[in-house]
Amino acid sequence: MPEAVLRVSEFLQLTNEVLRQNIMPNAFAIEGEISGFTLKDGKWIIFSLKDEVEPNVKLKCFATSFKVTGAFEDGMKVRVWGVPSVKTWSDFQLTVERMEAVGEGALKRAYEALKKKLELEGMLDISRKRDLPRFPQRIGLITSSDAAAYGDFLRILNNRWGGVVVEHANVRVQGKDAVEQILAAFEAFNKSTSRPQVDITRPCDVIVLTRGGGSIEDLHAFNDEMVVRAVYASKIPVVCGVGHERDESLCDYVADVRASTPSNAAERVVPSREEVLFEIEMIERVMDERFCAIVNEKKTVLENFARLMTHQVHRQKLRLETLIQTLGDRATRWITTLKTGVDSSSRLLANLDPTRILSRGYAIATSGGRVVKDASSLEVGASIKVRLSHGSFDSEVKQLER
Amino acid sequence: MSTKKEFNFTKAFEELETIMQWFEKEEVDLDEGLKKFERGLELAKACKDTLAEVENKVEKIKLKFGESH
Repeated sequence: MPEAVLRVSEFLQLTNEVLRQNIMPNAFAIEGEISGFTLKDGKWIIFSLKDEVEPNVKLKCFATSFKVTGAFEDGMKVRVWGVPSVKTWSDFQLTVERMEAVGEGALKRAYEALKKKLELEGMLDISRKRDLPRFPQRIGLITSSDAAAYGDFLRILNNRWGGVVVEHANVRVQGKDAVEQILAAFEAFNKSTSRPQVDITRPCDVIVLTRGGGSIEDLHAFNDEMVVRAVYASKIPVVCGVGHERDESLCDYVADVRASTPSNAAERVVPSREEVLFEIEMIERVMDERFCAIVNEKKTVLENFARLMTHQVHRQKLRLETLIQTLGDRATRWITTLKTGVDSSSRLLANLDPTRILSRGYAIATSGGRVVKDASSLEVGASIKVRLSHGSFDSEVKQLER
Repeated sequence: MSTKKEFNFTKAFEELETIMQWFEKEEVDLDEGLKKFERGLELAKACKDTLAEVENKVEKIKLKFGESH
């Protein structure tokens, strides 16, 4: 049987073909420890995966930062999934499709490393936290309907508030599909209009991402870099409530509101009916009191005005009375003066009365009705009337002496 | 859809708060006060009626995932 002769590159091509056909990607997870981890140009990840038992056995790994997210570093125990191939530069390497930290220690290190990375990017800043709507009408709920969290959340929600539409995206909250499903839910809520296959008619006012407590392995989806970035990038404010009070996840840090439990998440998104009722009643009371106060104020103004007017009328009346009194007094005095005047005038007049002179023995002689003052105006024989104090007599001129 | 559904609780509550703030001013007009007082009572009643609604509605949304499962 003749030997086939291949060029080196042809042989490598054949080898790669055999590898591809026989080792399906994602068929195995390969576990080992990271060494020589380097990130080139922020895009290319190169490292070796060291065998835990035989440290000299190493597998060269290559990945892109698009596929492998999260923070990894040397000494971290990880699992990788990928495609093996022999490169033309004669290195056997694994092109990593997926990588996860393994074991509590490694997961915690990955968690801390990722947290630091997010912190440096400013993603954990308090300043970017958004306020939640006070009275939400539509709530997007991302959790598993199998989890206790789902029941707890709805129970507290119903206890506190009513008339809300909850859009539930039923997703796995742990296991290998969790990340993908949670990402899909965020995408659906944020792009509800551009995805016709998603039957959300109106955007939600708030998104709640929640699950019960668990180990760091259980919570991996909530610490996954892509999920954390989806929470951060959400156009709709996000409330994250994971586990029991103690548990924390990186989603908690980037969410707008961090709730301690699923029940607490419900408490954070809706107000309590009793509290709002109390507030409404208080507003009613304040309004009522103020309104009554205003009415009373106006009433007082009117009353004061009336009182003022009464007072004014009273004063005018008093003035009038005083005036009348004064007038009366003046009049009396004036009459007296007048009387005195009249009396003295009468006396004066009395003094001038010619009859009074007659009483002293004088007589008034008249001739033809005229008083005779000059004897030359008379003729002998003229008739003269002589008036005395008492009575009168007629006489005749006998002789004139001029 | 009933008119109750279209009632916007947020807006009603905000208006109620605005009315209360108006009343807390120093000088208020009696005629306007009467109008605001009546409007306030109406809003308070509408809000309280809404609070009496017990039910929340849950709607499942369908998500389309990738081919990995």
